[in-house]
Amino acid sequence: MSNSRLAAVRRWFNVSTLTFRMWNFTGTALLNLFIFLAIVVYLSPLTYMVTTSLKTASQLSDSSAPIYPAAAVTFQYQGADYPVVDVPVDGRMKQWALVNTFRKYSEFVDPADPGRGLIRWDGYWGSLKKVYRPSVTFGNFAYLWENQGYPEMLKNSLVVVGLAELGVLCSSILVAYGFSRFRIPGGKFLFFLCIATIMIPDSITLVPQFVIYTRVLDWNGSLLPIIVPHFFGSAIYIFLLRQNFKTIPRDMDEAAMLDGAGPLRTLISIILPQSVPVVVTVALLQFFNMWNEMRMSTLYLSTAMDLRTMAFSAQAFVTIGFTAEMLQASAIILMIVPIVVLFVAQRFFMQDMVVTGIEK
Amino acid sequence: MEISKNDRNILERLTRPYRHLTMRQREGLVGFLFLLPWIVGFLLLKAIPILVALGFSFTNFKMLEPEKTRFIGLENYLTFLRDTGAGSSLFGSIAYFVQAVPIEMLVALGLAVVFSSPRLRGKTVLRTLFFMPSIIPAIAIFFIVTGLATPGSGWIDRLILGPLHLPPMANLYSLFPVLLAVWTIGPGFLIMLGAMQSVPPEVYEAARVDGAGPINRFFSITIPMISPAIFFSLVINMISSFGGVALLDRGLAYSQSLSPMEGYINYQMFSLTNLGYASALAWVMFVVVMLITLAIFYSAKYWVHFPEEEDRVEF
Repeated sequence: MSNSRLAAVRRWFNVSTLTFRMWNFTGTALLNLFIFLAIVVYLSPLTYMVTTSLKTASQLSDSSAPIYPAAAVTFQYQGADYPVVDVPVDGRMKQWALVNTFRKYSEFVDPADPGRGLIRWDGYWGSLKKVYRPSVTFGNFAYLWENQGYPEMLKNSLVVVGLAELGVLCSSILVAYGFSRFRIPGGKFLFFLCIATIMIPDSITLVPQFVIYTRVLDWNGSLLPIIVPHFFGSAIYIFLLRQNFKTIPRDMDEAAMLDGAGPLRTLISIILPQSVPVVVTVALLQFFNMWNEMRMSTLYLSTAMDLRTMAFSAQAFVTIGFTAEMLQASAIILMIVPIVVLFVAQRFFMQDMVVTGIEK
Repeated sequence: MEISKNDRNILERLTRPYRHLTMRQREGLVGFLFLLPWIVGFLLLKAIPILVALGFSFTNFKMLEPEKTRFIGLENYLTFLRDTGAGSSLFGSIAYFVQAVPIEMLVALGLAVVFSSPRLRGKTVLRTLFFMPSIIPAIAIFFIVTGLATPGSGWIDRLILGPLHLPPMANLYSLFPVLLAVWTIGPGFLIMLGAMQSVPPEVYEAARVDGAGPINRFFSITIPMISPAIFFSLVINMISSFGGVALLDRGLAYSQSLSPMEGYINYQMFSLTNLGYASALAWVMFVVVMLITLAIFYSAKYWVHFPEEEDRVEF
């Protein structure tokens, strides 16, 4: 806070400098503490997914297992592994390995003193809880990668994202340039129409599109219905790009035109270099959208196993439910990690979203 | 947007084959060529499908027996009025909109207020973290909510309700829309934060001199000044809650619990292959969403303070 503002606030509250400084510090500390707690709570549900992906199948099937990734402790006795359980003996818990189970009693070995031999304990062994110690497995990811065709899926995801990105960027930039720089008869109405299409729910075009793609064009089981529509531009990106292009002074265009540049040349050498942040923003938004794409792939890829994307598989694993829970979690994480890394790695995006906000 | 002499020369050279056109017409023509991808896409992917869907909605078109298709008038719409499944799905979609959008808006606004305080440290990192869940697909949120909320074995029962000796809650799945909403604040939050930071400090200073307290300043200056940003994020959130094309599209899974009306339309379409009826349902949904959109845009006249006249035409 600037000094003049501090002074103004101090006069407002009519307190001494020291008291005010203390209050000011307390306020700052409380605010930061509050936001810190808020972000911890905000992100805490993610821990469920992460911990589940690091667990083994045997831990998930044991309802008494801890919620953190852990492995059951075993003890090797005479060449065989036995689970270590908590046994109540004389009011105290002993951690013994369960060797023989019977209905009325069970036999144990004390791992601390195996030479003592089998210890008989009266009671039903089913009520005893296994001893766990923290242990993390990455086997779920390895399993998915090796047995569920993930390299292929990654390739498909990248093909979908790459081509859709190329299509949407080229077309949206051209259209936004057209909207921002030319006086077109009815241009305002067309732009209004373009914005209006953002509001149209997908379900209204779903049935006719499905009939056209599957019956007329015979694109069922191919990536075409997912990629081709992006070559016609996307209304919301056109809006974002056009708003940004409008802020670039026209003097620059005119200077270029003076040098003999045509409209396309002006777009490439004048407009685009000054619009790198917004173009990167659009590219990133499109990347996230296409990487997470599930609607279209559910419709058109369910018959084409070899074309499945990572998003499609993650969704199929969760909704169909034949896949074990830890594999579902791992599939989701495998799919999310690339976009989270990409998101954290960039700076443009945030800044430009802010710029867009100011402008709007 | 005056066009310079050089512009004219270039355009003239470029459009020489169209010499019989005026300059203005040539400019329009070149501009129109740039718009062509969108216009073709609009016709092929939006306008024609919407009209075709209207046509389908008056028929009994079934995917498996297309040869039996015939015109049945308004029967599909009458069926919709009697169909409790469709009614409750539509209600569910609207209820999700009514539930989720205010949560998204209020949380995003509150967070933007906190972030515009100069006292907060580490804003870049925090902003990234608060935005991050917005890029996580809905299927992951569904998975997480299932894991947290399953009665008995879910984390909420094990970690919170169990130790407090509270009975397991049966309806924890209603957490899904809430978590989905709170984890979608990203775009709205950044848009509002940006708008707040662009309010000139002199305005606040002047209000302070006039004796306006922080709360007064918030409601009399901040809110009106950022109202276009609030409106923009309202529109974005509305679109994503009804499954249009939003900034960050979650890609909702097709199941009845996630996006009820869309789920029901898909169920009619793929499980029962009633394309005619599905089209009628889609049209009902389309009309409802358009009415809500119109209502929001109409209301904007009363509470959104657009800086320029031109902007209102644009958005």
